[in-house]
Amino acid sequence: MESELAPQPDAPEGPPAEERVVVHPPEDPSPAGDDGQGSRTTGRRRFMRYLGGFALVSTGAMILTPIIGFLVPSKSGAASGGGKQLVGTTADIPPGAGKVVALGSKPAIVVNTEQGVKAYSAICTHLGCVVTYNDMIGAIQCPCHDGHFNPTTGAVVSGPPPSPLPAITVSVEGDQIFLTEA
Amino acid sequence: MTADPAARQRRPSWIEQRTRMGPVINAAMHVRVPMSAKTMYFGGIAMFLFVIQAVTGTLLSLYYKPTPEAAYKSVQLITSDVNFGWLIRSIHHWAANLMILFVVLHLARVFMQAAYKYPRELTWVVGALLFMVTLGFGFTGYLLPWDQRAYWATVVGTEIAGSVPFVGETLLLMLRGGADVTGETMGRFFGIHVLVLPLSLAGLLGLHMILVHQLGLANPKRPEPRVPTKEFEEEPLRPFFPHYIVDELVAWYVLLAVLVVLVSVFPAGLEEQANPLQTPAHIKPEWYYLGVYELLKLVPRIIGILTPIVGIGLLVMWPFLDRRPEVRMRRRKLAVGGFSLIGIALVALTVWGYVS
Repeated sequence: MESELAPQPDAPEGPPAEERVVVHPPEDPSPAGDDGQGSRTTGRRRFMRYLGGFALVSTGAMILTPIIGFLVPSKSGAASGGGKQLVGTTADIPPGAGKVVALGSKPAIVVNTEQGVKAYSAICTHLGCVVTYNDMIGAIQCPCHDGHFNPTTGAVVSGPPPSPLPAITVSVEGDQIFLTEA
Repeated sequence: MTADPAARQRRPSWIEQRTRMGPVINAAMHVRVPMSAKTMYFGGIAMFLFVIQAVTGTLLSLYYKPTPEAAYKSVQLITSDVNFGWLIRSIHHWAANLMILFVVLHLARVFMQAAYKYPRELTWVVGALLFMVTLGFGFTGYLLPWDQRAYWATVVGTEIAGSVPFVGETLLLMLRGGADVTGETMGRFFGIHVLVLPLSLAGLLGLHMILVHQLGLANPKRPEPRVPTKEFEEEPLRPFFPHYIVDELVAWYVLLAVLVVLVSVFPAGLEEQANPLQTPAHIKPEWYYLGVYELLKLVPRIIGILTPIVGIGLLVMWPFLDRRPEVRMRRRKLAVGGFSLIGIALVALTVWGYVS
């Protein structure tokens, strides 16, 4: 008994599927000599197609607009209070030491260097980790990708950070250390 | 007792009479499996792990509270107070790691056997999207315990997304729900992790399985002809059910045994609660992001960020770039060699990232 799946030698072999050419009817098939009925029908069809497309696009926009709007945060969180803020005393941060302090909602690093008390944003310019002061090597260091910064200038000493740590204005009044938010 | 056994056999079951699903189930149980096809069960195991994740994730969500104030304590509660909480959480943790491992192994197997070639190009594309969704699960789930590692991995991860040219800033804002990683970020990640990604993965997995069912498994020794040949029609096949399914079940049980050992010996831990003012020393991401972590240490940021993006783009588009019908490994020296080199480089970077 011959299997149904066996190849049929007598069956006509058509060209491969991707080689077959499909001939589409022309866009505007109004037969010559008609009374204009054909072109009116085509016009109506084209109009309905445009209308359908418009409905599709506008429905998509109608659905997507509130979704995208909903996803955009209502506040950027970048705003800060500003002003001068007491962050510690020189007893907390003696010469040769450094400390991460909160300046508003952001971390800042204060280092008591030979050139005086310096302060920078503690957010690493590479990928946003919080840096610390490593007193063993006398450098500001990022624990994530091992970037090093100069505690006196904030400049990059080694590692992948692309730019220096932004400086923050410091004022020392008596033994109190104040930072001024930008 | 029925007089005619043949008549009794023909009578449809109670369920069949009320569902008429018999033909659908019969069709589903027939997949073309050439005798020479070797899947190593990687894809099936990845799918099984997804089911485990869906079950354990649902259970965890009954106790978990997605706010920065409560998340850490709720994870502590799950781990120490809830009955079998440590077990469910550890299974979720380990199954997530294994799922990424097995998706990568499945991808490597399909690449090496050139199973992405005609007519399976779209199956590969859907598979590559599934790989991305799986990585997305890892990324979004990571933040949820709100411990130090979770928090800082998310800070760096979203910062990487924020450095993508042109769209980075918007992407960062959308991911974090603000400028910093806060409760807004946690809400978004939780929603993405428990709704957006599971639905996406279930949909894509369904599509992937339909394509595999319709096209059958690829023969790693011979390209599939564009017009069925006698050789193709008469190729020796292996029954999908029960032969292939039984083998797959055995593989799932072995995996389950491995999972139980991992969970018992290395239960999921929890670091200190997240502190946005202090990045812990020597913080590192999970193993599957260690390669990118090390790359970011070695090369300028933009290169470290663009390399994985270009890599993923190439991965998705690969079947449309490599259009030669040849499937045998020894005759695809460039593709196999290039893929192996990238694989070795990635493993080397991962190991380097781990020990550095």
